[in-house]
Amino acid sequence: MKQQTNRAVIDRTIAPTLRPVEHISFVAPSAHPLKNGAVLYFRYGLQNETSKIELHFAAGSANDDPISVSLCAGLLINGTQNQTAKQIQKALDAVGAYYDVSLSQETTVVTLYALKDQLLKAYRVFHDSLFGASFPQKELNELVHERQQKFRVQQQKVSFLAQRLFQRSLFAGSIYAQQIQLEDFKRADRSAIMAFHQQHYLKGLKKVFLIGDISAAHFDTFLGLLNEYQSEIPKRTAFEWKPEAGSTHIEQVAALQSAVRIGRPLFNKTHPDFCAFSVLNTILGDYFGSRLMSNIREDKGYTYGIGSHIVENSKFGYFVIGTEVGVQTRTATFLEIQKEFERLQNEPVSNAELELVKSYLMGQLLKSADGPYAMLDLFANVETLGLDLSFYDHYIAEIKAVDAKKLQELAKQYLNWDQMLIISAG
Amino acid sequence: MIHFERFTLENGLRVLFHKEPSTPMAVVNLLYDVGARDENPKQTGFAHLFEHLMFGGSVHIPDFDAPLQAAGGQSNAFTSNDITNYYDVLPAHNLDTALWLESDRMRSLAFTPKSLEVQRQVVIEEFKQRYLNQPYGDTWLQLRPLAYQKHPYRWATIGKNIKHIADATMDDVRAFFQKHYHPSNAILCIVGNFELAEIQQKVAYFFGDIPAQIKVERKLPQEPIQKRLRQKVIVRKVPADSFYYAFQMGKRLDNDYYLADLLSDHIGNEKTGLLFIELQRKKRLVSEITAYITGSIDNGLFVITGKINPKRTLMELDDALWPLLEKYKGKKMSKSALQQLILKLQTAKAFQDQGLLNRAMNLSFFELLGDAELINKESERFTSIQTADLQTYAQQLFDKNRCALLQIQAQLP
Repeated sequence: MKQQTNRAVIDRTIAPTLRPVEHISFVAPSAHPLKNGAVLYFRYGLQNETSKIELHFAAGSANDDPISVSLCAGLLINGTQNQTAKQIQKALDAVGAYYDVSLSQETTVVTLYALKDQLLKAYRVFHDSLFGASFPQKELNELVHERQQKFRVQQQKVSFLAQRLFQRSLFAGSIYAQQIQLEDFKRADRSAIMAFHQQHYLKGLKKVFLIGDISAAHFDTFLGLLNEYQSEIPKRTAFEWKPEAGSTHIEQVAALQSAVRIGRPLFNKTHPDFCAFSVLNTILGDYFGSRLMSNIREDKGYTYGIGSHIVENSKFGYFVIGTEVGVQTRTATFLEIQKEFERLQNEPVSNAELELVKSYLMGQLLKSADGPYAMLDLFANVETLGLDLSFYDHYIAEIKAVDAKKLQELAKQYLNWDQMLIISAG
Repeated sequence: MIHFERFTLENGLRVLFHKEPSTPMAVVNLLYDVGARDENPKQTGFAHLFEHLMFGGSVHIPDFDAPLQAAGGQSNAFTSNDITNYYDVLPAHNLDTALWLESDRMRSLAFTPKSLEVQRQVVIEEFKQRYLNQPYGDTWLQLRPLAYQKHPYRWATIGKNIKHIADATMDDVRAFFQKHYHPSNAILCIVGNFELAEIQQKVAYFFGDIPAQIKVERKLPQEPIQKRLRQKVIVRKVPADSFYYAFQMGKRLDNDYYLADLLSDHIGNEKTGLLFIELQRKKRLVSEITAYITGSIDNGLFVITGKINPKRTLMELDDALWPLLEKYKGKKMSKSALQQLILKLQTAKAFQDQGLLNRAMNLSFFELLGDAELINKESERFTSIQTADLQTYAQQLFDKNRCALLQIQAQLP
């Protein structure tokens, strides 16, 4: 079919009229308490075949010796008394499922993806393997060996070196500063891994997110299985910031680029300044048109990319700028970042820039709320902090309300070059 | 099933529309039928450098990104050896903004010396970040010219070397735009909760007055069937020796592609694949090994790659791999194994199809291949495969004479 072309002459210099995002509705999943005190959150109504179950265990890298934590996560379904790792994997393959484990400081998240009629079968495979996990010494040896090799490759990356030193310095003196070293693989200890599994997996289930149009019968079976996890024994670890400020460079003689991390302790969504600071952070470095991108990439061409972020966990948050720049322009980049801090402190953000960023953030929030999977993620992000979806209504109101004066105050309070931890490698 | 409508403007622009009632967002995907394979061998890396310049402003709009961000949207792009693909995701009620921006940069890009200078620099930093300053980062820069001797797949999208990018002139850039950026060389796909008539009207309004231009016919030298094994050894400061066995395979739409996709999963899977079981676990030659296909539009590559264990050698691996592949050729896959592989692919596809952007990109890509409807026929192409087909194909594929072997040796400290 040929379309008749509209020959009306258009004035291309005039931008189409924009309309703001007016309303976003947030939908909470249904909550089902489990016997161990954890909660199963369930979302259905997808109108497609996909489904996913996500299990959050209190088994993050800060929960114990990081080498045991990491190896335990890697061996969860690698053998029971009756089944080998290969048989378990084959059982997952047979139902077309994908399995993923992701480890953070506080939590290990296990995710299973499958078509909705297969998810329960996939979960049963995981469940039986987790509860019966025997951590065969042979599998442990193999994993240690593979991880060692991968670690050696990582050690050659400037981004890896900079990120690790940044974390160690930022979290100095706390359990969050613990990191795996190459030598640690030599002391991998099966009994420590088994003890961690007992304590942090079988008794460590914190919450479950289940999504998909699964049948009522399957849902009930899920509930039954999830109720087999034992009570969580909460172990509270105190945390106090004692960051090392100042600047450290790791010299890598042959490097063409330096990886850079610049940051400081901050806060998470529970803090009254969070929403307004999000706006400031976006202006500085969290979108393509940000000041750091405009200056350091689009004006100077020093880097392929630069960004600033707020990283959160349940107790705290931190602020970090990350980039990889040509070795010769590293110092110049530092100066430009410092200049951008000072500009935010000394000059009010123009109305045009502020309005653009506000609209951008609203559009991005609309996108983050688009579809059941995205909505469940939004929910999970606040649930972890003890908040609920009303946070986002608050966030919208705060974004709309923030003005240039407030942003300048926040820049003076939080974006001081002297208070930054500055790490580079390369 | 992904339903879509299709229409063509008088100037040759092909348009696809996929209605998704459940979303408040819109996706505008614009695929240009130009990739690194269309570059002059003396000016490689151009398609990708050009992708960067497309964000430098057009004649009527000084800044591409700002109006889109003000509309609550976001944009990005990628360049491959085959295509250059731009996309905008924004709240549906501001769809016009994306169409206005995309149509203006298709019509007339603003070329400023500053933009060229800066983006040249940015791409050089990208070259360093991704290819030069990473362990094993330059593998594909080395492997491509080994596996391809005639076809322009012999260079990577980033370019053969930094010099080609550093030397790009304003005239080169203008000529590239003239040749490749016009309506009949593009496919536009819009996804969102709209009506067809509305889309037809808007697209005609914004894109209708862009002058038509004749699509340049592509005449690429095709890669001849390889007659003998090609092997190259390079020494790098890396922690472990590594290897890349690249076998010649067919085009994206050939049956080869589907057979090779299944074979690569079957032998390459972690924990259950033949390569892992035999070479990693039983013979303990490697610390990792996998197989995958490149999936390019013209003849692609089936790659077996991994890293050698300390105290074992590339030669030991080579001595073990070939007999293993020979043995594999003699064994027919079980029906249940085939069904499992297909179920896994279907599961992965169901998840991919969830994303609006994915749907828009795939519709555009299949339209480029000949018909967007192919998106709905992919599954059938897999399910119609028989185990005997896979065996016959394995016998043809794993031919030592049609293999390019790149070995990276760790430099001794």
